[in-house]
Amino acid sequence: MKRRAFAVALGLSLATVGVTACSSGSTAAGGSNTIHVLVYGDASNKVEKQIVETFNKTSKVKVVLDTIPGADYQSKLNTVINTPQAPDIFFNWGGGSIQPYVKADLLLPLDDMIASDPGLKSNFLPAVFNTAVIDGKSYGIPMRGTQPVLLFNNKKVLADAGLSVPKTWDELLNAVTVLKGKGVTPFALGGGDQWPTLMWYEYVFDRVAGPDLFQKALSGDKTAWESPESKKALGMLKQLVDAGAFGSNFDSVKFTDGGSPALLAKGKAAFELMGSWGYATQQDANPDFAKNDLGYSNFPSVSGGKGDPADVVGNTNNFYSVLKKTKHPKEAAEFLKLMYSDEFVKAQLAIGNLPTTTNTEQFLDTSASPEYSKYQYNLVKAAPSFQLSWDQAYPPAATTPIHTAVQQFFNGKLDVDGFIKAMQALPAS
Amino acid sequence: MSTSSLGSGSGRSARAGRRAGVGVTRPGLVWAVPATVFFLLFALLPLVLVAVLSFTSWDGVGAPTFNGLDNWTKLLHDPVMTQSIWLTLVLTVAGVVVQTPVSILLGVWAAGHQRNRAVLSAVFFIPLLLSATAISVVWRAILDPNFGVPSQMQWLFGDGNLMGSQSGAIAVLTFVGMWQWTPMHALLYQGGARAVPQVLYQAAAIDGAGKVRQFLHITLPQLRNTMITSVILMLVGGLTTFDTVLILTQGGPGTDTTNSAYYMYQQAFKSFDFGSGSAIALVLVVVATLISLAVVRLSGYDKMRGTTEGL
Repeated sequence: MKRRAFAVALGLSLATVGVTACSSGSTAAGGSNTIHVLVYGDASNKVEKQIVETFNKTSKVKVVLDTIPGADYQSKLNTVINTPQAPDIFFNWGGGSIQPYVKADLLLPLDDMIASDPGLKSNFLPAVFNTAVIDGKSYGIPMRGTQPVLLFNNKKVLADAGLSVPKTWDELLNAVTVLKGKGVTPFALGGGDQWPTLMWYEYVFDRVAGPDLFQKALSGDKTAWESPESKKALGMLKQLVDAGAFGSNFDSVKFTDGGSPALLAKGKAAFELMGSWGYATQQDANPDFAKNDLGYSNFPSVSGGKGDPADVVGNTNNFYSVLKKTKHPKEAAEFLKLMYSDEFVKAQLAIGNLPTTTNTEQFLDTSASPEYSKYQYNLVKAAPSFQLSWDQAYPPAATTPIHTAVQQFFNGKLDVDGFIKAMQALPAS
Repeated sequence: MSTSSLGSGSGRSARAGRRAGVGVTRPGLVWAVPATVFFLLFALLPLVLVAVLSFTSWDGVGAPTFNGLDNWTKLLHDPVMTQSIWLTLVLTVAGVVVQTPVSILLGVWAAGHQRNRAVLSAVFFIPLLLSATAISVVWRAILDPNFGVPSQMQWLFGDGNLMGSQSGAIAVLTFVGMWQWTPMHALLYQGGARAVPQVLYQAAAIDGAGKVRQFLHITLPQLRNTMITSVILMLVGGLTTFDTVLILTQGGPGTDTTNSAYYMYQQAFKSFDFGSGSAIALVLVVVATLISLAVVRLSGYDKMRGTTEGL
């Protein structure tokens, strides 16, 4: 018996040693001649690995790629960013997602790098590049692909109802009436996920008031939410919900479990407002539908609205940001230059991502689905404004209150004044 | 409660000690060291840290700054917090009320000697082998309003908007919880029912008691201690329900199913407001402790009374 107790004690001390060894392990790995790049772990890592290999071939300072899989990325990044294990360069969504780090003075403004190599700015589409500009300073270089929100449609359902793709809000309202008469839900909506509902607000607010209203609200001017434009946009959304445009059970439907994409693919709904990944989702789940009947367009215009009908909303792109305390800012700049190289663009296009560099255009024919890539690219290039999703533009603390208010306004639990109050109570950026 | 249980514990080990021929009457304190170290390191220390965090403002970046009672006053005036406690209690009580009768019937039945019992029991216990995540994902698909069961049974489910209203979402969470946990509690009751002395049934049969009376007057009273154990497990499980909420409803619609555990997660790991999250966690600890103390007291569980007295 005594021997067993000893074994237990030994095991315990070993475990403790193991824990300490683990926590100090990654520091030891961060030697003086390496740059650690932290990215969201998914299929796109293929390209990131390739770029790292290319860089390491010529550079003395080697890049080490670290990945954190899936939805844990943000919370794990948050845990390490102010510790010795922090990466030198890391993946993010720009806007509010890096704001807490900028505030904590952890990030390196990239303006000096850009001054010595203007290409780090001029080679990217401006609407996208500006998402990572905070307080007039640049904190990110675009990487991966852009994800504008598009109005997807089922061509067959539209043809059967004798409708064409709506170009104006009135045509959209008319489509609702016609489709409901045919027993089809006009718009598939994954309300259970909450963020798909938010996309409707982003577009209607932009079309009615233009991008400035939201920027005003984001910068802390709470009167923006109670302006006539804001009230008008909310009134239009309310009218749409009350007209039954989304059916009655959207709160029980999700995009993430394939619910709302199936509604569109099976012809139970005519449209779905969704990020550009909606195309890949359909290709994956309903390949025949994606090939033959999946249509897409920009959000309709609103007559009398201040917003440019060419504006888009969505996730502008992902970004690489650099930490202030990196020992190799020069090499980091060299690494970031690869983000507008031909090799990077070709590799991203090959896996279905749409990079936002000016040279992307030359390689669009090599993409997985050229027609769709070209449509998206031209849309983003021509957009006077690319509004980053509200839940990304605000700092993380605002995400839950935004989602809750958005859902409650759609299902009638909040009225216009209640919604305005909820948005005014958001933590300021 | 501790005196009597400690007493019986030391009595047992004294007997064991005597059998081994060692003259020790109490277990040496040394034996408690590993457990105590584990408890201090992994239970008490984090609890203290969480308590400290609840008086700070911390977004996970940089150092926490003390903000006094800010988190606590905010919590007191937060309607979502009040609602989340209420919801936690509703989900817990609903879980106990729904699961207990089903578990008892299933467990007692599984303790018998019917034909095919073993095979059927094995089938009933399958949910026990699945992770809560898998279960939630499967039920989400089954309950899909447009492609799942509700779309085929509109006379019952209407437009299938089960998770679109508070009552509907609570019902779904309770039902999935029952589906997931009933097998485990049935297993407890099966063990309890097997331990009931057969002589009791034989005597009752001679006195002319039928199956129902035997169940009501012998099986149920004999299962009293099992029932208390099972209810305590259900209470603890109900108070900390998280995974099904996360996957099935995400606390929605709106905040309609945001129970305390989910609210804590949301504040700490989605809003990066670890101060508020810690305060919620502490409230949850206090509520859970009070409830389990109350159950132990009220049920007489602390007395560890046997059910075989007089036999």
